[in-house]
Amino acid sequence: MRRLLRKRPALGMALLSGTATAVGIAISLAIDWFPDAASTASKDIDNLWDVLLIASVPVFVLVMSVALYSVFAWKVKPGDTSDGAPIHGHTKLEVVWVTIPFVMVTALALYGWVVLDDIEAKEKDPLIVNVTAQQFAWSFEYPALDKVKSNQLVLPKDRRVELRVKTKDVIHSFWVPEFRLKTDTVPGLTTKVRVTPNRLGRYDVVCAELCGIGHATMRQAVRVVPPGEFQGWVSERKQRAGDGGVAAAGGDTAVAGKTLFADTGCTACHTLADAGSEASAGPPLDDLTKDAAKFGKREGQSAEEYVKTAIEQPEAFVVPGFTKGTMPDNYKKNLSSAEISTLVKYLSDVSGKETK
Amino acid sequence: MTLATKLRGPGWYRAAISQPIAFLFAFGLVALVRSLYGWDPVVDWEAITTVALITMPLGFIVGIGCFDYWFRWAAGAPTVPEDHSGHGATKWQDYFKVNTDHKVIGIQYIVTTFIFFVIGGLTAMLIRAELAQPGTQFVDPNTYNGLFSVHASLMIFLFIIPVFAGIANFVIPLMIGAPDMAFPRLNALSFWMLPTAGVMMVASFFVEGGAFATGWTAYAPLSTEMPVGQQFFTLGVQFAGASSIATGLNFLVTIITMRAPGMTFWRMPLLVWANFTTSLLVVIATPFIAGSQFFVLLDRSLGTHFFDAGGGGDVLLYQHVFWFYSHPAVYIMMLPGFGIISEVISTHARKPVFGYRMMAFSLVAIVILGFTVWAHHMFVSGMSDWLRVPMMITTLLIAVPTGIKVFSWLATLWRGAIHLTTPMLFALGFITMFTLGGISGIMLGIIPVVIHVSDTYFIVAHIHYVLFGGSVFTIFAGIYHWFPKMTGRMYDESLGKVHFWLSFIFFNLTFGPMHFVGVDGMPRRVADYADEFATMNAFISVSSFFFGLSFLVFLYNMITSWRNGPKAAANPWRAHSIEWQVSSPPPIFNFDEIPTVVGGPYEYGVPGAVHAVFKEEGAPAKATPAPAGGGGAPPPGE
Amino acid sequence: MESASVALGRTHDEDQHDDHHGPPEANQSSRIDASLLGMFLFIISEIMLFGAFFTAYFFIRVVGDTEWPAPGEHLPVVVAGINTAILISSSFTMHWALEGARNENRAALRVGMLTTFLLGLTFLCIQINEYVFIGFAPADNAQGSIFYGLTGLHGAHVFVGLTLLAMATTRAFRGHFTAKEHRGVEVPGIYWHFVDVMWIVVYTVIYVI
Ligand code: HEA
Ligand code: HEA
Ligand code: HEC
Ligand code: CUA
Ligand SMILES: [Cu+2]
Repeated sequence: MRRLLRKRPALGMALLSGTATAVGIAISLAIDWFPDAASTASKDIDNLWDVLLIASVPVFVLVMSVALYSVFAWKVKPGDTSDGAPIHGHTKLEVVWVTIPFVMVTALALYGWVVLDDIEAKEKDPLIVNVTAQQFAWSFEYPALDKVKSNQLVLPKDRRVELRVKTKDVIHSFWVPEFRLKTDTVPGLTTKVRVTPNRLGRYDVVCAELCGIGHATMRQAVRVVPPGEFQGWVSERKQRAGDGGVAAAGGDTAVAGKTLFADTGCTACHTLADAGSEASAGPPLDDLTKDAAKFGKREGQSAEEYVKTAIEQPEAFVVPGFTKGTMPDNYKKNLSSAEISTLVKYLSDVSGKETK
Repeated sequence: MTLATKLRGPGWYRAAISQPIAFLFAFGLVALVRSLYGWDPVVDWEAITTVALITMPLGFIVGIGCFDYWFRWAAGAPTVPEDHSGHGATKWQDYFKVNTDHKVIGIQYIVTTFIFFVIGGLTAMLIRAELAQPGTQFVDPNTYNGLFSVHASLMIFLFIIPVFAGIANFVIPLMIGAPDMAFPRLNALSFWMLPTAGVMMVASFFVEGGAFATGWTAYAPLSTEMPVGQQFFTLGVQFAGASSIATGLNFLVTIITMRAPGMTFWRMPLLVWANFTTSLLVVIATPFIAGSQFFVLLDRSLGTHFFDAGGGGDVLLYQHVFWFYSHPAVYIMMLPGFGIISEVISTHARKPVFGYRMMAFSLVAIVILGFTVWAHHMFVSGMSDWLRVPMMITTLLIAVPTGIKVFSWLATLWRGAIHLTTPMLFALGFITMFTLGGISGIMLGIIPVVIHVSDTYFIVAHIHYVLFGGSVFTIFAGIYHWFPKMTGRMYDESLGKVHFWLSFIFFNLTFGPMHFVGVDGMPRRVADYADEFATMNAFISVSSFFFGLSFLVFLYNMITSWRNGPKAAANPWRAHSIEWQVSSPPPIFNFDEIPTVVGGPYEYGVPGAVHAVFKEEGAPAKATPAPAGGGGAPPPGE
Repeated sequence: MESASVALGRTHDEDQHDDHHGPPEANQSSRIDASLLGMFLFIISEIMLFGAFFTAYFFIRVVGDTEWPAPGEHLPVVVAGINTAILISSSFTMHWALEGARNENRAALRVGMLTTFLLGLTFLCIQINEYVFIGFAPADNAQGSIFYGLTGLHGAHVFVGLTLLAMATTRAFRGHFTAKEHRGVEVPGIYWHFVDVMWIVVYTVIYVI
């Protein structure tokens, strides 16, 4: 066998790499690489990715099989002092392996360019959302819709959206993995993301650029909703800001508080059994009454005041064992005072309830 | 020697005493200036730290004796006639002195950088321990950010870049038939700047606010706002950079002016070519990182507005300047490795390097192209849109010259007489793993893809495939290959193979899965992550611990073989290049007589071909050109 | 021969004969002198360092489209112009000194070195004086930052150049340098010319345009 391979190397090679390429491509395409695809860009990018895999696998397999093949066919025994064939080069071969990669990468670059133009295409009358990043939170504002403000990004399905991204302090990066789109937020600049969400659901805005201690937890919700619901949400937002969401919840503050707690993104960091959240970036709030009594006394505040300050000015008092500056300090700005009272009331009511 | 003379003369005593003096000087200077200007408080610790971070390393370098000769020269005093007392090592203590012998400096470099590799690796182990589960287990987010920042900075500035300089320091003068480097004292100075830079970076863990925590990229304006630990990076990099420039310059001058007779550029071994091109990159690009860190320093210390958008500054300026260095830097971290692989493959496959000239030209092409692609690190940075597509095209074009190299190595293997020694195994591991990392690089070069995967674990996977599977594998190959030459002893071949297989397997198990979690949405530089990535990360962490342990095999092999390994032959690999024609380890002045080069360096299989002779044809050779494979221990088993 | 490297444990026993005390004469494979080449390469890297600062200048002034100098500020173009002339003339005296060394004209060497040094020092003093009276600080605005950045970087180079010149001058007065061996003048001289040329660029970019 080895003798044969030594005699007909080209044949052996072709067999080896041909099979491996086919297997490799099959495997790499079978892998589920991406998170859900939730925007029109996702599909373009996922296709591009598949093409890249199809182009890459043969290159890698070729390198791999020539290396393995050579070792297999031309490994010598210890003590063998013979030399290899004194081949110094082969011009035709060298031309080939300059040309083929050149053609390949040029083609890939062109394809990439086309896709880029596609996903960034401008469309008439997009929904504009101003996105503001700060250490360590996002806030969203809809300038054309009565400047509705929110801590959660809510987008109508199938509508072109233009996100205008700004930052108040350092560089962050706005990324929604399901949209496959990302842009840094740069002090002094407004960067843009154009996206058409096309799948209903709840996703995360992830901060993808190191921005300080809270970087890992700088995440907030994105909801893609049917256009009708979006309109409803906008008017509800306006109304909620006035009464803290109580009316929308049929007058039930507990329900209003739970909704608000989840929608505002508190669930990303806090464990609270009533809201069904489990997260460890911030202290668990199930025992909040105890904490509020203890720390509140120390700070000379009532329990309610303590909770209110904890939300409005998280820096004012930092729970031992946690890092100052992790909890966003923009809630006072982005929530109305009615909403904050709802939260305070809700937290004071539910905590202690579910423990034990 | 009395204590007084010890304190006056160069060495550790004087270096030690210089430290408190330098600190007091910094303290006094800051207090003086601040009180003159009437600033409050007079004792500003951040300012004092900053000044001390400049004076203390300088004090150390002066104290240890790097400048003694130059001081005398500068004062116009008669310089001490060169008695070569600072050249060569006869006992181990000599390695702890300022030494002008390139072979000693080479070993100083290699040992020092491996110490920093271990520290950098241990920080990686802490990173992986923290990431084994979601949530916070061992370190708080601030410490975590410090860990990976120090990890990467040590690995890049204190390991990969200088270890290549170390290997080249030992090998290059021998290879080109020179008795030493062109500027031996500058060479010593370059070395002694390194440990100071490294100690600074590690020391940052112990200051208030923790280590610098902005990644090795230290993007402004985060880096201009972070606590004082950041200064340790800002200034540490300056020392590492100055060291790197000085070495690069030294290599260039050595290679241009000190080649042996007959050693034309087209007869130079490819390692020499690789270091020549790398040094060009170093000399041209490194000042840019110096610049970027100067700006950060000025913004922090003097309140300037380079990166302050509100004050008219420009945030993206930092990234442009930084990457204009740091992209070429990735080739600074790769080209010397390419050179090592060319040597190892042709020697251990006993074949001439395929397409020698194209191999040299492709190095030059990579250098040139390398300067035109920096903004591929900024595709999502918000920079001018029009710059992106040109940068994508140049980025992808780098596949062409790199491909020439990969294919030529493969063609060199083809129909060779392959000895599967440890260096050869690492070379094969390198070719395959680097190709994988290069291909992920190509994917990153394509803008729509990188918009999604930028700043995710896919990048972390790319980094480690090119830097570990690429650079570090070539370093291992080179260390094993020249170990007999450097130490005069043979390493243990079976342990070497165990090391290779363990690291090859666990390397892939550690960094392979990172591709998947990255594309699936896990950002990099996070101490905590979504629960859906828990299983994969646990797997990665466990593999990484085994991967770390595999390094112990290497360490054990190196230490025991250096102490009691079998004596090595002058030329255990029966190689043609000049360094193998002298004894192992080489004589103190390399040669008794400069060799004459008569042919190419890789003429394996060509009957009667010689690369260099030590005497004109006919005359008896005076020095000790060792017969191929002769003397000492037999070549190691395979 | 002595072993250059030692094993960690035992020393080598093959170090027997010791028949020479220095390295063999290195081969000169290029006509250019090593220290000159070294200085040229160093200058390349210095140019790149200036390049980084010019990049900052470019981003702040051109990309950022800011007013130059900042509104209400004024750059002393004429004084700086005179200063430029002073620095340029020092290049000529430097050349004169080098010619002196080449021709074994000790007086020319000494006077030339001394005048060069003093001219350089004058330049530096005028520059510092300019800082004192210019009326804005590096922390005032980005234009101020880059103004002080570039001129300060150059000033630091003048300082380094002056240090080198001081050494060469000292040695000139101590009777060093001959027609054959005058690299100690030539190499600092090249650096000094570089500092001068760089100033012309800095001056043009900062003050003139
Ligand atoms: C040794 C170091 C090294 C090397 C050699 C490379 C090589 C390459 N790198 Fe990599 N890179 C890094 C180290 C390195 N990189 C690091 C450290 C980072 C992260 C920095 C940070 O943010 O912290 C990074 C990040 C990085 C990015 C930015 C990603 C981001 O942050 O958004 C990009 C984007 O284009 C990129 C591309 C490339 C390309 C195209 C190559 C090419 O040179 C690869 C060329 C090689 C091949 C292609 C394989 C061999 C060729 C063939 C077999 C021929 C045939 C091939 C084809 C036809 C495809 N790299
Ligand atoms: C040459 C460069 C180099 C090298 C060799 C390594 C080696 C390793 N790296 Fe590193 N890494 C980088 C360069 C490098 N890295 C860069 C540039 C970044 C980006 C940083 C940034 O974002 O700014 C990065 C980031 C990075 C991250 C991402 C952090 C984050 O984004 O949050 C991770 C996570 O797993 C990681 C892991 C590892 C591991 C497990 C190793 C292992 O290979 C280490 C193995 C070595 C040892 C373990 C030491 C020696 C062993 C012993 C002494 C034996 C004892 C061992 C045990 C007790 C187990 N690295
Ligand atoms: C990015 C993470 C994060 C988010 C999002 C977050 N918090 Fe916090 N929270 C923390 C951390 C960390 C602390 C402890 C440090 C401190 O007190 O500032 C904390 C503390 C608190 C406390 C005091 C707890 C105690 O035991 O004393 C309250 C109350 C609180 N948060 C409520 C909220 C509410 C309500 C929201 C949403 C509107 C929210 N948090 C969103 C991280 C977060
Ligand atoms: Cu904001 Cu990371
Ligand atoms: Cu790059």
